Amino acid sequence: MEIEFFTRLIAVDSGKLIVIAMIGAISSMMSNRCIAVFHDGLRPLIPEYIEGRMSRGVLLASSFALSFGLVIGFGLPFSLTAPIILVHSLLLGTDVIGIWCPNSRKGFIASGIVGALYGIALLVGLKSIVDLFAMMPVNFMSALSKVGDPIIVCFSLFPALVVAYQFGYRKGLFVLLATLIGYLATQSVGSLSFGGQLEKPVKLDPNGIALLFAMVVMFYFAMREKAPKLPEGAKGSNEMLVGIFSERIKRIQKNQWLLVLSGGLTAVAATMSMSLLAEGPVSLQLMAAGDANGALLVALARAISFIPLVATTAIATGVYSPDGMKFVFVAGLATNNYVIAFIAGCAIMFMEIKMLAGAAIWLDRYPGVKACGDHIRTAITKMLEVSLLVGGMMASNAILPGMGFMIVAGIYLLNRTSKRPLVEMAIGPIATIAVGILANLLYFVGLG
Amino acid sequence: MRFVIGGQIEKTKLAETVRRLAGDKATSVEIMGDIEAAMALKTGQADYYLGACNTGGGGALAMAIAIAGADKCITLGMPGKILSDDEISASVQAGKTAFGFTGQDIDAVVPVVIAAIFQRS
Repeated sequence: MEIEFFTRLIAVDSGKLIVIAMIGAISSMMSNRCIAVFHDGLRPLIPEYIEGRMSRGVLLASSFALSFGLVIGFGLPFSLTAPIILVHSLLLGTDVIGIWCPNSRKGFIASGIVGALYGIALLVGLKSIVDLFAMMPVNFMSALSKVGDPIIVCFSLFPALVVAYQFGYRKGLFVLLATLIGYLATQSVGSLSFGGQLEKPVKLDPNGIALLFAMVVMFYFAMREKAPKLPEGAKGSNEMLVGIFSERIKRIQKNQWLLVLSGGLTAVAATMSMSLLAEGPVSLQLMAAGDANGALLVALARAISFIPLVATTAIATGVYSPDGMKFVFVAGLATNNYVIAFIAGCAIMFMEIKMLAGAAIWLDRYPGVKACGDHIRTAITKMLEVSLLVGGMMASNAILPGMGFMIVAGIYLLNRTSKRPLVEMAIGPIATIAVGILANLLYFVGLG
Repeated sequence: MRFVIGGQIEKTKLAETVRRLAGDKATSVEIMGDIEAAMALKTGQADYYLGACNTGGGGALAMAIAIAGADKCITLGMPGKILSDDEISASVQAGKTAFGFTGQDIDAVVPVVIAAIFQRS
């Protein structure tokens, strides 16, 4: 049954191919013209190139160095477990493709073509690998999907961790308890029928509801932290930034139409019915498990956490992200209709760009929210490291009983001593794929 | 020697690591927002900037590059690659003052960079 589910998710229909080709093309073209790049670290290098302090060759080398490891060691392993494409696999690639194509009219068109081909290759390649894995004598595809099992329940814990990072262990523990009570309470209620008024009772998802409450508490704590009163005439740091870089903000606004289109298409790709792109490893696993509400809430929290980072890098560089602050993914998950998702995605991108400076200045008043954003990313990373390690050990052990545990733990611990370490949270999926391949090798030599 | 901690993630751990390694030689180790930290470095209120993020070059260094200049900045560790101890020392000798790396690289990179900084001064 699980295999059937995979086949449905990975089925390459022409709709998916067209959408991914278009997103690939537009993103590459925006990277080619230095309008938008996905990697937050590449954005600050773009003005160095535009203003002549860095050659295109050096920019290309830097973009490749920044992106290559992430695509191979982070984007692709997660894309394989679900299999839904983690957006990093696509857009880190288009960052490089755009810069690789020359800065000319021909280069602009070429970048669009190569970007479209890259998107198609990614989708078809992913399907081929999944098909190949499924053909092997020891089929580990269903076990591979187990890597994400702990995430599907652990994700609602991250607000407690965020509060603990920001306001201390005791408050974090309080939120953790509240989350657990919320989970139990929702579970005991089961479903709502409003006294029989609804024909189909609304089934409550305990994890989703618990997460929702925990997020409300998290943002309540974060909003309560007000900025210290500034002396007369003094400016907050973001307002200062907006002042210094006002010309660069105009550059983004001048180039808004490609960005708006890209936002609309990404929202379509992020709908549950298309399940083509996911914004992060957590919502990806939740989408794969069919939990649209959970995926929506996690995507929303992540998007809020990205406002400060994306806004400040965009303002300081005049370069935006093809997905903006990632709210377009929330739009896709909130609606299951391609047309509505497209319109909502376009509108969100348009508003993000219009309100860029305003949002940054507004954030000066709530330093707790900016700090909260940093903690959300730290907390989600930590939660993923634990969940995926445990998930990877369980999945690997289902493939190779006994040895599976040992191999994953071994790779995890040895990795910490390496000078070329794998991304820690990607070890679960990577090690499980390795164990699956090993199981097949053992089968061939007659040991399996 | 005055250190500022910018970047996006694991600021507390990073600051504690710097305090532990630098000891009395550090006059201050301050956690700041990435913009404030980059401003402090640019205006000379801080000597060195350290920051972490998930990629080592994104949130860790973005503001430092934009405000203090790319020539001051270097990524010491990124997913799949950590610079060798010699390369880290060489970058400090070459006058780099803002360092970025991933959260999981803190234990591998910070001791080397702090040692190199004190060797230089």
